[in-house]
Amino acid sequence: MNSNHSEPLPPDLAEAIARAGDRLHGVGSTIHFFPTIGSTNDVALTLAAQGDRDLAVVIADEQTAGRGRRGRAWFSPPGSGLYISIVLTPGLARVDPERATTLLTLAAGVALAEAIEAATALRVDIKWPNDLLVSRRKLAGILAEAVPGGEAPRRVMHVVLGYGINVGPTAYPREIRDRATSLETELSRPIDRAAVCVETLAAVARRYADLLDGRFDAILDAWRARAPGSRGARVAWQAASGPQAGVTEGIDERGALLVRVGDRIERLVAGEVTWL
Amino acid sequence: MDLDQLKQILDLVRAHELSEFEIEQEGLRLKIRKDAVGAPAVVVHAPVPPPPAHGGPAAVAAPISSVSSGSSVPGGAPTAADGGDAEIELAVVKSPIVGTFYRSPEPGAPSFVDIGTLVKKGQVLCIIEAMKLMNEIDSEYDGEIVNVYVETGQPVQYGERLFAIKTK
Repeated sequence: MNSNHSEPLPPDLAEAIARAGDRLHGVGSTIHFFPTIGSTNDVALTLAAQGDRDLAVVIADEQTAGRGRRGRAWFSPPGSGLYISIVLTPGLARVDPERATTLLTLAAGVALAEAIEAATALRVDIKWPNDLLVSRRKLAGILAEAVPGGEAPRRVMHVVLGYGINVGPTAYPREIRDRATSLETELSRPIDRAAVCVETLAAVARRYADLLDGRFDAILDAWRARAPGSRGARVAWQAASGPQAGVTEGIDERGALLVRVGDRIERLVAGEVTWL
Repeated sequence: MDLDQLKQILDLVRAHELSEFEIEQEGLRLKIRKDAVGAPAVVVHAPVPPPPAHGGPAAVAAPISSVSSGSSVPGGAPTAADGGDAEIELAVVKSPIVGTFYRSPEPGAPSFVDIGTLVKKGQVLCIIEAMKLMNEIDSEYDGEIVNVYVETGQPVQYGERLFAIKTK
């Protein structure tokens, strides 16, 4: 954790958030903005550990230690991306908190795809469970981390939902150059980062409300409509027994990826799945 | 329901010579049935709680007791070690979810805990990834890690043993 202090929001972002008003459903009632920070998720995890920080938002213009899944770096140069983390508590769901928690990462993928489309009209595909792709190149990534909060006997789980969206073209490191894209690369025009930021907060707020109220089918339907590769595509993954391959057969009601291997259906909930 | 209430119910069942009695209250179902000899048999059912809760029926960690470390009798009640005066309390930490098990925060990083590590309540033991959500699993106990049942990258099932912690 570094000792940076949060700063006032840039004026364009402050205005966009003020305009969004009720659409944010309380998301971002506390916003911590950093021109530069190690990782927005680390700041949000610290906030979550302090308790009583539900719906707090951390935004950075640059991450010096942006993290992806399993310690992978998320390339986060200044001025070209959005780096945001939100403290959520799906365990507070009024209907089936366990399922709400399970579906949170899918809901987040749907929300970001919807937000990007609302702000820029760019159509984004979801790759299971929640990578956001345009023509198979990664536009945005999500890193969700759950930490136990409170004391026994319960212990509500806080989930820090972190995401990075590539907004402007940038000199990507060689190893990701062919696999990454940005909004401005795809649309060939300048993009208003503040507008995209606010749309993502509003979309996350809306889909999070769906989770809390038990509208799981709405999330699953929206996810399926944006994930063409979740049906009839060849995939490979590493199983306990060794490498496996099969054909996708959609997702079940808990978001697990179903894959047909010969005459049986495998149900995947974790691990790395590669689309062939 | 506490022990006194249970005792009252048992006394009532005896006093009224009931052969069977069932009550459901706050998610707890109590069923009492007299067997042929007349001694009441008590069966208690409780629902599976949504998230894992310490001490709950589907608890992440099932406290067990055993004379030799490493043996495990999940769900067994604590009993005194036979003959010995040192009682070893073992808690088995079980997976609260289905997912992929990771012993370290990232590849190449040191493990959160190893055999012999002294852990405090609330200390992170491992991460289990499910639906791309990285779940930190923390210790419900102060104690020493005496066994690690799973290796990094391995899929784990709900209720699968992850660690044994010697709590005394």
